[in-house]
Amino acid sequence: MPAEHVLVTGGLGFVGSAILHALLNAHPSFKTTVLDIKPTPLGYKLPSGVNYIQADLRSKSDALRAIRGTKPTVIIHTAGYSPTGSARYSQTERAQVFSINVKGTENILHAAREEGVKAFVYTSTCCVISDDLDHDFPNMKETLPTGRATTVYGQSKTIAEHLVLSVNYPELATCALRPSVIFGPGDTQLIPTLHACIEKGETPFVVGDGFNLTDFTYVDNVSHAHVLALENLLGPKSAAGEAFFITNGQPIPFRDFCLAVWTEFGHIPSYEIRIPKTLAWFAGSILDWVTWMTGKEVTLSAGSVKDAYGVRYASIEKARKVLGYSPIVGLQEGIGISCKDYYERLNGK
Amino acid sequence: MPKVTDVLYYLVHVQELRSIIQWKVWHNPVHERDESTESKTLRRCFYFLDQTSRSFSAVIKELNPELLVPICLFYLILRGLDTIEDDMTIKLGEKEPLLREFDNILEKDGWTYNGNGPDETDRQLLVEFDCVITEFVKIKPAYRAIIKDITKKMGDGMADFASNAEYNANGVNKISDYELYCHYVAGLVGEGLTKLFVEAQLANPALLQRPHLHESMGQLLQNVNIIRDVKEDFDDGRRFYPKEVWSKYADSFEDLFKPGNEEAALNCSSEMILIALRRADECLFYLAGLRDQSVFNFCAIPQSMAIATLDLCFRNPDMWKRNVKLTKGHACQLMLDSTQNLQLVCDVFRKHTRSIHQKNTPKDPNFIQISIACGKIEQFIETIFPSQRPDPTLSVKDGRVLSPEEEAKAKKEAQEAKWDIIYMGAAVFGILFFISLFMIFIAYLAGARFDVIYNQLRSGNLARPSAGEAQPILNNYEHQEL
Repeated sequence: MPAEHVLVTGGLGFVGSAILHALLNAHPSFKTTVLDIKPTPLGYKLPSGVNYIQADLRSKSDALRAIRGTKPTVIIHTAGYSPTGSARYSQTERAQVFSINVKGTENILHAAREEGVKAFVYTSTCCVISDDLDHDFPNMKETLPTGRATTVYGQSKTIAEHLVLSVNYPELATCALRPSVIFGPGDTQLIPTLHACIEKGETPFVVGDGFNLTDFTYVDNVSHAHVLALENLLGPKSAAGEAFFITNGQPIPFRDFCLAVWTEFGHIPSYEIRIPKTLAWFAGSILDWVTWMTGKEVTLSAGSVKDAYGVRYASIEKARKVLGYSPIVGLQEGIGISCKDYYERLNGK
Repeated sequence: MPKVTDVLYYLVHVQELRSIIQWKVWHNPVHERDESTESKTLRRCFYFLDQTSRSFSAVIKELNPELLVPICLFYLILRGLDTIEDDMTIKLGEKEPLLREFDNILEKDGWTYNGNGPDETDRQLLVEFDCVITEFVKIKPAYRAIIKDITKKMGDGMADFASNAEYNANGVNKISDYELYCHYVAGLVGEGLTKLFVEAQLANPALLQRPHLHESMGQLLQNVNIIRDVKEDFDDGRRFYPKEVWSKYADSFEDLFKPGNEEAALNCSSEMILIALRRADECLFYLAGLRDQSVFNFCAIPQSMAIATLDLCFRNPDMWKRNVKLTKGHACQLMLDSTQNLQLVCDVFRKHTRSIHQKNTPKDPNFIQISIACGKIEQFIETIFPSQRPDPTLSVKDGRVLSPEEEAKAKKEAQEAKWDIIYMGAAVFGILFFISLFMIFIAYLAGARFDVIYNQLRSGNLARPSAGEAQPILNNYEHQEL
């Protein structure tokens, strides 16, 4: 493969930095540039040889300036915004989510076409399908229609994914990867939220039957898939214009993932209380009001209850066949590494 | 005569009793053997089949006539081989050549063997082995070649283990040795049977392109036998649990049977069950390749029993104390479910997978791996029988998409149902309304002072006045009236 110049947007973030490292490992000869909205934090050192550019993709001119200035041949577009906590289930951050996820993608796509970029890999999400929270999604395949997501995040990513895939031309090959819930070292959402449940005494409660399978994906598998997708778009192009689910291929009950994480922190609930789905949803709805009135965050809400009892896992057959993807880090190993990392972060090491 | 404990058990477990009755009354064999056309030696072979096999004779005898005799003989031949291998009274110098040459013995007219120890349960089979040989040379050459080939491979494998001093002294060491052992005694049976099924055109030839599938069929059954029989084998001085597994939980294998080590023993059996559980999805895949009902039953029944036994053994401390067994009622239920179609067998697998998951605990070091293995089975079943609707917004009933007419009809019915509810609600509230009015009227006739209540409510006195306060208020009104 001739030396390429890869631009990773959101390259300072959790997933973006993992992609950057996977890329440097797989293709040390490639030139790499990180684009991020934030300046590099104090004390943070990018790997040697990696360029950095600060740009706000919400601005069309900023995006164009960044691409014109760096002239990448490939873009991995990972920059995005996902509301957390109760905002995930409400409309409060709609404007912000859409401006970053939709407008940002539109701007960088426009710049990529203007500047003759060859390949474009988009970090989408399985939420484009599974954020239709009222339905179960066992063994999701890429043939399922999008456009039914009910969360702001799912809706914005759906539009962005459509934009990316619809500009797939011979000159600019595009594809979208849909990882499921991502965890790993540096994760600020999943493991910290679950860890906080121990303190709050929320661990004994099981919503539903406790057998709703969910996909969790270790971050290194996600970055590995991005490298494979990039190689494909520069080579055979069989992935061009396509979307792929990327998971660990090891769906387990949501509850079991929580238990495994808690066990890593030395906590095993001494008893269990099973709450029927409807009761939990009802309680969640009431707590939504409590949250609204007191302004204090509770883990349980009508939306998070649906997230906890829904069946959401995908088939990775398409990624296996087309990209040659196969998870490189297993779930158990991944949980071990991630919890150790979070433990060290908590203890300020 | 049934035992009293059994009677009591089935009085409580009526569902299981029902299964036994259903199986006895309603189960019709797909095929039945016709004894009148059988030779004397063949009848003797079937006699031995009943004698030597507890679980397999019934399913073998219901097999498609094309394969009935070959598989019966295949079973007896392997049983003969097993009887030699098992017998610790036979010296290695005599045993090894017998095992390695057993495939040639199959064509030696009149060969019999009475070197087995007197306690060997199946010794009589070898004493009269000539009737097996007489029948064996009569079957189709293609079947004969398959059976001979497997006999050779299995004999060699058994001889390798028998002559391995390390194995004899210390039992199975690595997990890979355990898998190899199970391959010789069970995986090869899977291979032979698959070749017979395909040769008889009763199974999809593609099964031969995926040898790991029939390997898993054999491995799962053998793994389950080994897991369940741990106590019995231990008492007989044998150990099949690989050292690589048990050494994680105890310093010596005996320790696992001692009181106080229950938790370690449970975790050890969890890992053994995990190894077996990882085979389950491939077994279902294999069953999907069978074309004949009798062959399907023959393969599916032992698999259902195996997954149910895994469930029974999982986190069950009793398996380290005695031989745990499925109840007869449960076995009949499994047979009923395993003699129909793949979907029901998948339901059996899913049910037991979930039951295993239910018992899984984070205290067990294998917790997450067991959870993954259970998820894998569930996902596999989902791939062959998707529960997912093609489009969540399309109307679906009983798993199929409705046509526009049906949808319109369903809509109309839903509309009618809605109005039914509205009418019923109106009727209930209407009656309540009239009853209330009527009661208020009676109260009025009896002298209730609604005017007082009305005025008090209007002036904002929502609370009921105490007895002391009430009188002056009332007097107020009385005076007005005067």
